Amino acid sequence: MNSLIMATASSKGRLLSLLATAATLLSATAAKAAAPGITGPTFNLNATDAYITQPDGQMVYSWGYGCSSAPTGFAPALNAAGFCSTMQIPGPTLIVTQGQTVTVTLTNNLPAAAGNTSILFPGFTATATGGVNGLLTKEAAPGGTVTYSFVATTPGTRAYYSGTQADLQVEMGLYGAVIVLPSSVPAVCGTLGSTTGLPTTNPGGNAKARAAAGEGEFRLATAAYSHPQACYDREYIFQFSEMDPNIHAQALAQVNAAKALAQPAKDCTPGAAGCSLNVPTEPYRPAYFMINGRSMPDDMDPNYAPQYLHQPYNGNPHMHPGELTLLRIVGQGRWQHPFHEHGNHVRVLARDGNLILSQTDSTKLAGPLLFTTTTTPGMAMDGIFYFTGKGLNWDMYAHNPASNDGQAKLTCTPDANGYNTAVPGVLNYFEWCQDHNKPLEVAPFGDVGGGGPATLPDPALFANGAWYGGSPYMGPNATTRATGCSAGSAAGSCGTTGTTSPSGTIANSPSTEAGYAFMWHSHNEREITTNNVFPGGMLMMMLVDSREFVIDESN
Amino acid sequence: MSVHQWISRGLPAALSLLLALPAGAQSFRVQCPTSTITHKAANNNAEPLYLGPTYTPPTTPGTAADYTTGFHSNAVNGAIKCQQIAGGDGYASMADGTQTYMFSFGPLSGLADIANGLPGTQFPSVFNTSATSLAPGDPATTNDPAPGTFSYNGAVGLTPEVVKLETIYDISEGCTASLASCTGVTPNTVTVILNTPSPFNLNDLVVVSGTGSPPAGYDGTWPVSAVNIPNTQFSAGPGQGASQAFQFLAVDNSVSPARAITGLPEITASSTATAGSLAELNGHVDPRQIMDVGVMNGNIPAPLMAIDEDDEFFLTLTNVGMIMRPDLFEQHTVHFHGYPNASAFYDGVPDASVAINIGGSFTYYYLAPDAGTYFWHCHITPPEHLQMGMVGQLYVRPRQNRWSGYLFDGLLAQQGDLRTACNSASDILCSNPLPAGGTSKAGAQNDGKTKYAYNDGDGSTSYDVEYPLQIHGFDPNFHFVGMTFNPEGLTDMKDKYFLLNGRSYPDTVTPGPMETPSTDGVKHFSQPLPSIINIPVGKKALLRISDLDVTEYQTLASLGIPMKVIGYNAKLLRDQAGNNLYYNTNSITLAGGESLDVILDATGYTAGQKFFLYTPNLDHLSNDAENFGGLMTEINITN
Repeated sequence: MNSLIMATASSKGRLLSLLATAATLLSATAAKAAAPGITGPTFNLNATDAYITQPDGQMVYSWGYGCSSAPTGFAPALNAAGFCSTMQIPGPTLIVTQGQTVTVTLTNNLPAAAGNTSILFPGFTATATGGVNGLLTKEAAPGGTVTYSFVATTPGTRAYYSGTQADLQVEMGLYGAVIVLPSSVPAVCGTLGSTTGLPTTNPGGNAKARAAAGEGEFRLATAAYSHPQACYDREYIFQFSEMDPNIHAQALAQVNAAKALAQPAKDCTPGAAGCSLNVPTEPYRPAYFMINGRSMPDDMDPNYAPQYLHQPYNGNPHMHPGELTLLRIVGQGRWQHPFHEHGNHVRVLARDGNLILSQTDSTKLAGPLLFTTTTTPGMAMDGIFYFTGKGLNWDMYAHNPASNDGQAKLTCTPDANGYNTAVPGVLNYFEWCQDHNKPLEVAPFGDVGGGGPATLPDPALFANGAWYGGSPYMGPNATTRATGCSAGSAAGSCGTTGTTSPSGTIANSPSTEAGYAFMWHSHNEREITTNNVFPGGMLMMMLVDSREFVIDESN
Repeated sequence: MSVHQWISRGLPAALSLLLALPAGAQSFRVQCPTSTITHKAANNNAEPLYLGPTYTPPTTPGTAADYTTGFHSNAVNGAIKCQQIAGGDGYASMADGTQTYMFSFGPLSGLADIANGLPGTQFPSVFNTSATSLAPGDPATTNDPAPGTFSYNGAVGLTPEVVKLETIYDISEGCTASLASCTGVTPNTVTVILNTPSPFNLNDLVVVSGTGSPPAGYDGTWPVSAVNIPNTQFSAGPGQGASQAFQFLAVDNSVSPARAITGLPEITASSTATAGSLAELNGHVDPRQIMDVGVMNGNIPAPLMAIDEDDEFFLTLTNVGMIMRPDLFEQHTVHFHGYPNASAFYDGVPDASVAINIGGSFTYYYLAPDAGTYFWHCHITPPEHLQMGMVGQLYVRPRQNRWSGYLFDGLLAQQGDLRTACNSASDILCSNPLPAGGTSKAGAQNDGKTKYAYNDGDGSTSYDVEYPLQIHGFDPNFHFVGMTFNPEGLTDMKDKYFLLNGRSYPDTVTPGPMETPSTDGVKHFSQPLPSIINIPVGKKALLRISDLDVTEYQTLASLGIPMKVIGYNAKLLRDQAGNNLYYNTNSITLAGGESLDVILDATGYTAGQKFFLYTPNLDHLSNDAENFGGLMTEINITN
């Protein structure tokens, strides 16, 4: 037993890379995220039970919202492989446009013993028709339906969740998100699919660069709100929740007992008014910590991957330098989670669909800048993130005018903000020009000339991470140049100047992606585990990719 | 632990051994250049006044640029700062007397400063020194019998390069018969022919002595200008003699302009002439010193770091291994938590970069980011390494501290450099636009004594004294199984000690460093930083509060004196129109991974008043089984 303990303990650091290997093997293509959902404004939803999967192999009995009939459509438009099961966690993301009258008809197909169920739409004035009276809203009795109707008065991201025996029903998985797109988008933000994009300020013309690179359009809109400061180039949604498997096991036991023996759940007849399960929800001991219903590494598999029939949404953001990336962060479940975004701060635009503007100048934002965005149950926030590498004080593309490689000799022409945005098709679009050609190391490293402040030591002293691009630099070209022989390498320089072996960098290939990987995770680090195993839980890798890598979010 | 967990953890572990890279030779080292391409001056050992932009945008828009474009060599701001830390293990003392095992970082530079509660960050002139002798456990070993006697702040282990000393057979100047060819030889070219093959490389500095020809002769320190010189003194075989010879140029630099030294006579078969390398401090270390001081020297919180905007910071992490867990081959890293526009390479996430093996050193490099209260921690297996104690504090001081005159004009000057500017119309992530209503040559001025938390441009973040406070929690069960070779349960992690700067009340108000007897029988400072907050009457204290608890949110309340929150997550609380969004409160709540800046203003209070900073999470006012203590410290109003 001792030897097993020792082997286990000594290699925890590498466990992540191996789990990542497994994740990569499952998905042949790189999996991206976007903010997928179904379109309306009429939705026919269903609440029922199913088993969801966890990376430790457990299938957890859960309840969730799903589609009772085929939805009007899926969005974003290129997300062609979408499906909406009869039950999914989180529930279908409902995508509507400001001003629309939204109608949600909910059918209660939960086991009869579970009793009634319902949906609350905080932030909207919903009218409920049909169903039976409940404490917070009208409810659908077992087998019955209830219809909610509201006008999507203001844009933004919001949560929806069960208002019936919510301590149990939300824990079991009855929650989801509503995205309301603004009815009018500021002209400065451009239009979907066009190259009009953003002006050179704020901070660049990324739509043109996207078109020049032949990348698809995966946004739901070009602005999160009807405000020029709310333009964005890319978007992702993150719903945080946790599960205590003991509660789920008890719920299943009571449901089965009720089915098998017609035994009353709470001294009452299943299906009778006011009758529901009697599962204690305290003490609470969650062991699964999920983002968009999945635990790491499952969250980095594609959207709608067939192995996650009841967990269709992933969490695997990618972006190019300078792209304004909208984060739609939703707290579900019952705990707060400090979501730490590595790489830069997030400007909070809004809470629960309420844009936060300066009290003295409504053209200016007033939300805080955060590197840790706390998720709170029932609360949603929208924020903007970007990464440019500005101020690193070294050239992250490893440009070197003395190189034999043409790609090392690209130029950088600063715009009014100091970024290289004049030519949309260049590989170093949005490079920060003040550091252009500025070397990192004194000792040469691959084909990249020395002269800079830092010296990189013997790579044999390192352990490489699964998402390590293979060199300090961003992009396959720079990484190949720095770590091995490229077509333009000087004679005799190959393999003699000290290279970092890219072995083990399996999830971010040095030759095809070599992006900058940043961990986005709960900083209650206990929650980046799956049922006692690290890594897992509320953790994902975000990748900033150079323009050589085409970001395809169609799955 | 269930069988099922054994399989899921053990199987990948066994597989991963196959992928392990071969371990390199022992290679500790440090890195602290005295000058760089950013700071080209020979001396970067002090913070110069902020004079204005280092870079201004090109005057002709649309032209290509690089790092030399628009560079102002007369306005090079900031300096160079260096620090070294050890990654390993150690023990800390809890307030109930329990000794708790930690995975932890310890100081390997600035030892005396850290023992005094100061940052271990040093200028090159202090860092690049060599300690004559250090005792195991220092500074505790030296300071304990004789407090305050330990004064070394340089890099532990840094040791002079081994001198290569060779005897000279023949030394001549200009074209002589000793040379096989005179091509390229000038009248002041000196050719040195050694008795054995030359160990010197091009540009090496070589000390020539014993030729009997100073001053302005051969003796002196010279850079090698050429190697492999064919000669007639040793010509037994092709190239054999050439490898024994090198050349330098004899130049007298003591006069201006420098003068070539010519006409020196040839000396052959000297019995005294030698050529030797310099005893340079170039980053090589003596591993004995590092092991003596670094092993079992873990601190909670980890060594304090402080830099100024525009500084280049070289942080060397040296992994000394964990003596109490010889079964573990744990790597360590440093994550600079909250750095805007961090590079993935220096971000310290082992999955996204490299991790540092035992026996190795790695130097992290950053240009200081925007001013603010950041913090740092190891990012290997975070639930474990953070819980076990690998957490520290880090803050960046603003440019405004170095500006002389009206603060608004100082912030205006920063708009001239795109790197330091904040234009909220074009950058959604910039945090300190010009203050609303501010005007040039008006408002607050920097008197050279007041410090500021941020580049506010209006003096609203000024303070007189500052206190870094880090919130953390220890689960003693987790630490115990971590020490005793058992697998740790993560789901049930539950903190029982609630720490401010690594101590619980009443240890938080014990002055000076705290020491913990350790299993190696050597004294170690385990918790160098008290949390006693002393504010002179009428003055202001800045509390730089960070939280690295890994299990739950914690609240810190001020019983009496109000807290004015001026910064959050290392950013000034200001909207994009320039309005300050500061607020007064008596409690703040933070999660692990958050930081916040609070100002306590002692105006209107009287000396001798005492207030408490404590947690209203009342179950956190305990030290494990003791129902007294926990997350609490004292605020004293002083004269």
